[in-house]
Amino acid sequence: MNLLPFLIIVPLFGAFSMPLISFLGKRVRDMWAVVISAVTLGIAINVFYTIWKTNQIIVYTLGDTTPLGKGVSFPIRIVWEVDLLGALIAVTIAFVSLLAIIYSLEYMKHDTGLDKYYTLILILELGMLGIVITGDMFNFYVFLEIMSIASYALVAFRNDTWEGIEAGIKYMFVGSLASSFILLGVALLYGQYGTLTMAYLSQYITREPTFVSKVALAFILCGLLFKSGAVPVHMWLADAHPAAPSSISAMLSGLVIKAGGVYAIARILFSVYSISLNIRTLGWIIIFFACLTLIVGNAMAVVQTDMKRLFAFSSVGQIGYILLGIGIGLAAYGTDVGHVALAGAIYHTVNHAIMKALLFLVAGAVLHEVGTKNLNELSGLARRMPLTSFAFLVGAAAIVGMPPLNGFASKWLIYESSALYNPFLAAIAILGTAFCTAAYIRVLFTFFGKESEKVKVAKDPGKVMIVPMVLLIIAIIIMGLLPWQINDSIMLPTARMLEESGEYVLAVLGG
Amino acid sequence: MKMFGYWDALYFVYAFIIGLIISYILMKWGEKASMGTRRVGAGTKVYLSGEDEDEVIPNFEHIQGYFIGRHVMWGLIRGINRVFIAFRREHTGLLTDYVSYLLITVAIILGVLIVWG
Repeated sequence: MNLLPFLIIVPLFGAFSMPLISFLGKRVRDMWAVVISAVTLGIAINVFYTIWKTNQIIVYTLGDTTPLGKGVSFPIRIVWEVDLLGALIAVTIAFVSLLAIIYSLEYMKHDTGLDKYYTLILILELGMLGIVITGDMFNFYVFLEIMSIASYALVAFRNDTWEGIEAGIKYMFVGSLASSFILLGVALLYGQYGTLTMAYLSQYITREPTFVSKVALAFILCGLLFKSGAVPVHMWLADAHPAAPSSISAMLSGLVIKAGGVYAIARILFSVYSISLNIRTLGWIIIFFACLTLIVGNAMAVVQTDMKRLFAFSSVGQIGYILLGIGIGLAAYGTDVGHVALAGAIYHTVNHAIMKALLFLVAGAVLHEVGTKNLNELSGLARRMPLTSFAFLVGAAAIVGMPPLNGFASKWLIYESSALYNPFLAAIAILGTAFCTAAYIRVLFTFFGKESEKVKVAKDPGKVMIVPMVLLIIAIIIMGLLPWQINDSIMLPTARMLEESGEYVLAVLGG
Repeated sequence: MKMFGYWDALYFVYAFIIGLIISYILMKWGEKASMGTRRVGAGTKVYLSGEDEDEVIPNFEHIQGYFIGRHVMWGLIRGINRVFIAFRREHTGLLTDYVSYLLITVAIILGVLIVWG
């Protein structure tokens, strides 16, 4: 049985049944959220395993058995098309969402309106899952908006402080602007080619590459760079991510900027545009923004005094590495260097989701226990919160790229390929890491420094908050200890599948 | 997958040298940006807070004339901060700002696509 539609049906059902389930009591409501997200993870793993084993793209047509219309040879229905990349990101989304929900059980215990909170968190999850499985441009936009609107609401969920409300409104206004740019691009493509199916669009644009298709790409790419938090359109991220509850920050920084940002960029550039436009140019456009992003993001992280804001800027920096991998993957398309760079970018996408989720959960634990995220007041936390500090140590070491943790494996692939493609890019990447190290060392010194008054009464949080952190630490260590096995068996095949845009087209159009 | 040939390791030497040059420029910048730091002369002092206007810090006279890693680290933080403050002065926070950032991004992408796409 094809379980793919259940990837959307299950969280959708969970979200809309949540208000009813809440009548049965708080415990049932909490358990319902955990069960729904656990089942979603199971389905995502099943979909991933099916594609990985058969090496075949799964195509699902809504409302019919074939995407092609009756008597015509082109697709007329909404198509969901999942390759290894989509499935891998779906597993990551479902995994981190499950942990964020478990963490929320204790972290959000004292908040009110939790039925709305769990509804929104499941809608956020389904929006992201929709983005990574769809093969239709407008459907992609719809899921992007579902994801975005849920995240606007979640950023402003704690409306007792102005920080959350202000960040939420700012995020909503500028996010809607970026979404309208994407919509404009999609509308231009539809006006020009009369279709929204990505595979068919790819074929059409290859046949008739018009000026309008380039304008559409510029608008879509700009919107997606915004959604991924790339410089110069990153300003919203540093306000929105820290203002949200930490479990949501973990999802925003770990997942939302990946699914709605870098994944979508990779999908549109590789699957729709790679044949019709000069692929080297496309690659260098992405490399340009990647270099800006990884320098500015990491450098901004160095000067922050708010711990969550520091992590948010670090996310901007890490997006730079992922974009660099994608950019080199495009610019060196068809070579081993490009292939390894793309595999590195995909690997780093998964790794960063795990590492940043861990770091934001740590920040949440600190905020929960000490009541502040100001680094100047958190000195000497390690003695009072040893487990949390250990979790931070692992997360920070991984994100800086220390062997044998997972960040090293993926960053190494990106350094290696950028050194081979253009040594200047490698030097920029390493410079970004130098800033990143400086930023995290500041937090480390704070945690292990002289004890301040504020932290004297702090203690590690309860088990429910510790368990997700421990699971993420285990994931970081395992992915760090088996880097080449994971790379050879998962990341390289995923990169290969993404590069072969012809297969992506043929999966829908047949032949 | 095997990526490296025998001589490809030279790329890393190349990357390393470029890295060194960039680091040196950054170090110089950091040194300059760390306030009150002079390597020679009467005003030389160990760098502590960056805001210190004293000519010499009591009890640290023995490190006069030396230039330490903390100078660079602080100078770097200060230098970056000053750059971003300069940017922030131009940033009003109004919606029009964000529209202009988005439009500039579109213009860059479109320009490149038209010329080389």
